[in-house]
Amino acid sequence: MDLSLVAILLGIGMLAVLAMGVWVAVAMFAVALAALVLMIPVPAGAVMATTVWGAANSWELAALPMFIWMGEILFRSRLSEYMFAGLSPWMRNLPGRLLHVNIVGCGIFAAVSGSSAATTATIGRMSLPELKSRGYDETMAIGTLAGSGTLGLLIPPSIILIVYGAATEQSIARLFMAGVLPGAMVCLLFMGFVAFWAVINRAKMPVKEDALPFVERLKATRQLLPVIGLIVGVIGSIYAGLASPTEAAAIGVVLSLLLSWLSGTLSRESFANALIGATRTSCMIAFILAGAAFLTVAMGYTGIPRELAAWIGAMELSPFELLFALTLFFIVLGCFLDGISVVVLTTSVILPMIEQAGLDLIWFGIYLVLVVEMSQITPPVGFNLFVLQGMTGRNIFSIARMALPFFLLMILAVVLIVAFPQLALWLPEAMSSQP
Amino acid sequence: MRKLLEQVYSAATVLAACCLITIAGLVVLQVLGRLYDGARQLFGLAPVGFLVPSLAEIAGFLLVGASFLALAGTLRVGDHIRVTILLHAVPSAAARLLTVFALTVAFVLAAYFTWHAGLLALDSHRYGEVSFGILPIPLVYPQAVMSTGLAVFAVSLLDDLIAVLRGKAASFETGKPADPIEGSE
Repeated sequence: MDLSLVAILLGIGMLAVLAMGVWVAVAMFAVALAALVLMIPVPAGAVMATTVWGAANSWELAALPMFIWMGEILFRSRLSEYMFAGLSPWMRNLPGRLLHVNIVGCGIFAAVSGSSAATTATIGRMSLPELKSRGYDETMAIGTLAGSGTLGLLIPPSIILIVYGAATEQSIARLFMAGVLPGAMVCLLFMGFVAFWAVINRAKMPVKEDALPFVERLKATRQLLPVIGLIVGVIGSIYAGLASPTEAAAIGVVLSLLLSWLSGTLSRESFANALIGATRTSCMIAFILAGAAFLTVAMGYTGIPRELAAWIGAMELSPFELLFALTLFFIVLGCFLDGISVVVLTTSVILPMIEQAGLDLIWFGIYLVLVVEMSQITPPVGFNLFVLQGMTGRNIFSIARMALPFFLLMILAVVLIVAFPQLALWLPEAMSSQP
Repeated sequence: MRKLLEQVYSAATVLAACCLITIAGLVVLQVLGRLYDGARQLFGLAPVGFLVPSLAEIAGFLLVGASFLALAGTLRVGDHIRVTILLHAVPSAAARLLTVFALTVAFVLAAYFTWHAGLLALDSHRYGEVSFGILPIPLVYPQAVMSTGLAVFAVSLLDDLIAVLRGKAASFETGKPADPIEGSE
């Protein structure tokens, strides 16, 4: 059979199995197995067992459950209260006022949490009721939260960058550093938009509160010390080359437990819930990664990714045209699949194509995560929408509409990092030498 | 029988959680050792050179334990990711058929995988394969844990398949409403 026909059949088969509700990881195993059994004379079962064993047994990947656990502990602590109290005095005087707490709060919490769902839920639990009681526009309150919650993916630590690093064998520490500046840039874009919106929609803003004296503000800022301590301890030690991501993550777990204990939220029950939650989430991701590892090897045997790369190469697209097409493709895929599945499904097929186009794989990771962030707020499948639906009771389509401006701003962010790749690459190049 | 199965699923999840605690504990021990040495050097003392032997390998093995032993428990609370748009859109009889299909595919695959993971462990045992590093750990142990986790997973899938064929709801459909942050990312 012709290879391109097989590729199309496998692709359709994959989408059909996914649509029918087969678990994502199982679908990847099944398609990979079908490709091997039908096309290649290798002992498929043995290849499967060896590949998965090799992929699952990894020191770098141990950072994944640790960061997830850390997020689960912090979600159950009073960190979000402290952050709201510490941030709001400073935001009161900006145009857009406390709406900025959502954005800056998410940006800061993203620096201790690897997941956008945890970021949205932790910040939103505190800020949504506060904003509502002060009479802020609900569309903007929910929209800013939906948009900035996705920063959990881009700003290190990041679960999805660990997944990308594991799937493409890139340094997780470097990927983390590459995410810092683009994350800050997205924050600034969002804040700029909120300020602009507040200036032209004065009528929708609540009555201004009195500014606090400077000394009072400084006093309130002390509440931010725990979270700043965590960021310095975890991200700082990775940047300085003092700790590998796995080590920093384990230290982060201990520090979070300490913080939870000091703030009086650590109980036997909260400890057990956080631990079991982390166990299940990391099991789910590890299972998908195992499926992706096997799919990558199976695809390698079939030669489809090479053919695809050659085919794309023959079209002589410029990198910009290629990225434009890929962005559209990812946005559509992201409407129906969760971010991790998008990343692992595509890296197993398109990586040779990216390498051939001469794109830097660290840079591509950041680009991919930005695009995946958008998929968090596109219906019908977007995790931030689900989280916010649970918190506000609004349906996902109306939440998606509230988040639309932020979706468009993220497209702008993608354009910016394509135009200025150094935004992502400068920091990893500047960091102290690491393996 | 029901009670025994439930106990097996939760025991496996608890073991998986213990693997995570052990990873955190060992890694923190290693970092503390390094900090202690750093502090000694500040005072001009010779470093003790404390380290957890073969930590990278051990952490990898524990991660395998954590990932595979939790498979069944994660399935039963509905935390494994799947696309449910179609399932919610079609009539319930069709949705049931799709669930039977998904469970059958997953069960056959898990059983096949268990068998081959078992063969891998058996091979490692036969040829006495050990890990690299200071502590040579026989690979058969972590690989046997991987096979065990997969076996429990296969059993739980069969358990659910039988339940659905008998007209009951699958465990992952009746599970508790998910904690908002237990999404994938």
